[in-house]
Amino acid sequence: MLKHRLTPLQRAGILALIGIALLTASRFIGELRDYQGAQVAVYVIAISSITLLTGYSGQISLGHGAVMAIGGYGAALSFSLWHFPFVIALLFGTFVGTVAGFVLGVAAARLSGPYLAGTTLALAVGLPTIADQFKVLGGEQGLSFDIGDAPPWARKLGGSEFTQYKWFFWIAVIAALITLWAITNLLHSNYGRNWRAARNNAVAASLAGINVARGKILAFTVSSALASLAGALFGLLLGIVTPTAFPLSLSFAIVTGAVLAGVSNLAGSIVGAVVLVTIPEVSGALATHLGGSQKVTANLPGLVTSLLLILVVLFMPHGLRIRRFKGMKKLRRNT
Amino acid sequence: MFIDTLLIGISSGAIYSLMALALVLVWRSTRVVNFAQSGQAVLSTYIGYEITSKTHNYWISLPLAIICGALIGSLVDLLFMSLLSKRVKSGPIAEIAPVIATLGLLGLIQSVIGLIWGNAFLQYPSPLSGKGFTFGSHTVPFSPQNLFIVLASATVLAIFGVVFRFTNLGLALRASSFAPEIAQLAGIRVSRVRNIGWSFAGAAGAVAGAVITPTSTLSPNSLDLLFVSGFIAAVIGGLDSLVGAVVGGLVLGIGFSFILQYISSSVTFLAGFIILMIVLLVRPRGIFGKRVGRNA
Repeated sequence: MLKHRLTPLQRAGILALIGIALLTASRFIGELRDYQGAQVAVYVIAISSITLLTGYSGQISLGHGAVMAIGGYGAALSFSLWHFPFVIALLFGTFVGTVAGFVLGVAAARLSGPYLAGTTLALAVGLPTIADQFKVLGGEQGLSFDIGDAPPWARKLGGSEFTQYKWFFWIAVIAALITLWAITNLLHSNYGRNWRAARNNAVAASLAGINVARGKILAFTVSSALASLAGALFGLLLGIVTPTAFPLSLSFAIVTGAVLAGVSNLAGSIVGAVVLVTIPEVSGALATHLGGSQKVTANLPGLVTSLLLILVVLFMPHGLRIRRFKGMKKLRRNT
Repeated sequence: MFIDTLLIGISSGAIYSLMALALVLVWRSTRVVNFAQSGQAVLSTYIGYEITSKTHNYWISLPLAIICGALIGSLVDLLFMSLLSKRVKSGPIAEIAPVIATLGLLGLIQSVIGLIWGNAFLQYPSPLSGKGFTFGSHTVPFSPQNLFIVLASATVLAIFGVVFRFTNLGLALRASSFAPEIAQLAGIRVSRVRNIGWSFAGAAGAVAGAVITPTSTLSPNSLDLLFVSGFIAAVIGGLDSLVGAVVGGLVLGIGFSFILQYISSSVTFLAGFIILMIVLLVRPRGIFGKRVGRNA
């Protein structure tokens, strides 16, 4: 995965081209697809936070939905209460999430495997209940995070029928591309190498002078920054943040997406995100095709996701993409 | 008031202990945190529900549900976990693969239940009253059903205690979790023992599901929060320790009960998180866990 040695600037160029292509393409697709595209972009960020944490640093989190909630609430609060511009609000949400992630990371660095999984799971269940305790967080009703229509300059660029969903798509895609660029650079840097070294063999890494604990804390912090940015964007897409918008299933969903992508494959996070967004639609269509009753429509998406997850873990544990290359390598070796 | 809260805490703590015990049994035998535990338990509870609605007798359904729970546990190990441990051995995913796989299994079981029984909330009544005992003019919130919960959990815990402490099977279970390779060399069929561990865990989960469900409703997700509590309890106690599971469950149950009574019902899980954090910061492997620090 890290074979292509491009400079950060070259990477930026490539991603900018992709971005321009995507933003241009948004003119020609429908409202629903725009919204789904925005969802994919948000999931890409969320999944890459897990990829970075689990695939590169070897830590597990079942509570990143809660970190997303922190980001979402941070953004919505600063937007609705202090009337920050939405970009600043997104950054503020990310900042709050990063600080929280640092605190969690300090604790997480002491824990391993199931203990960390248990702690983050408890966080995912416990944190959303805070919102009920403070009036400023809006309780069950949540906080509004409605950024309204696109500003004039964007409408000038985007054409006459530049709807709110197209605007969301733009925001999410730009955020996702910037994020991917930043993480790729980070993973190619010293930090990324240290994380992988510590993941593969903590003892050897510390003998080589790598501060394993510090690396883990940093990885958790960066991962939380990504997750909270995703959470803030998630709230923006919904137009509101509520305690129920960030359920336990969201935490599980992004871990699922990361596994579908092959946990140590950043590009694969796009595959994972697309799968996460399309499963409900595909299985919904399937359910209506089967002439399904209430029972079928309600449970088919879960069934499909779970089956896919199990099959991937059992038969393609290194994700949907990497496995194929490994197979080819083996083929070459054998012939 | 204090006594009432304590009694309720013991009642829910007993259930958490059972769930924690199920997790610890699986963890000790397979080094896997079985997230499908709540799915297995709820499936056996649905089977119990089905039997009750056919026979109209809770006391027939209870043992049958427990047996089904044990069978489900055994099947999950045979069909699923052994395949997983054969296929996924290395790479960054090896550590999280069991977590993901059991989460997938949980989703699978719950959506299959939804397909069969629907997602509606069902009543799974027990013949015991849910109304509190009355002493003179004072009615405590502790009901015969609560008493039954405590007794049933205590019985299961006692049976497990005796089996582990005094039987050959218990010795084999302890040996294979302590040092699987040496146990194998000593002539213990580790894979079979591991399977027995899974079926014990399934039975414990089934008991938890069958005795707690009459106090609320039955739905595919109805035992999820119980599982989370059980997991927190197991982690507090130290995942390797059976005693720890019981202690962790009781600590958490009583703690939750007092928070519910004196602070607020909505912060219980947050409090659980805080209790867990404090315990783990002092002892990163739980109260009764082995004192093994990180290597680096």
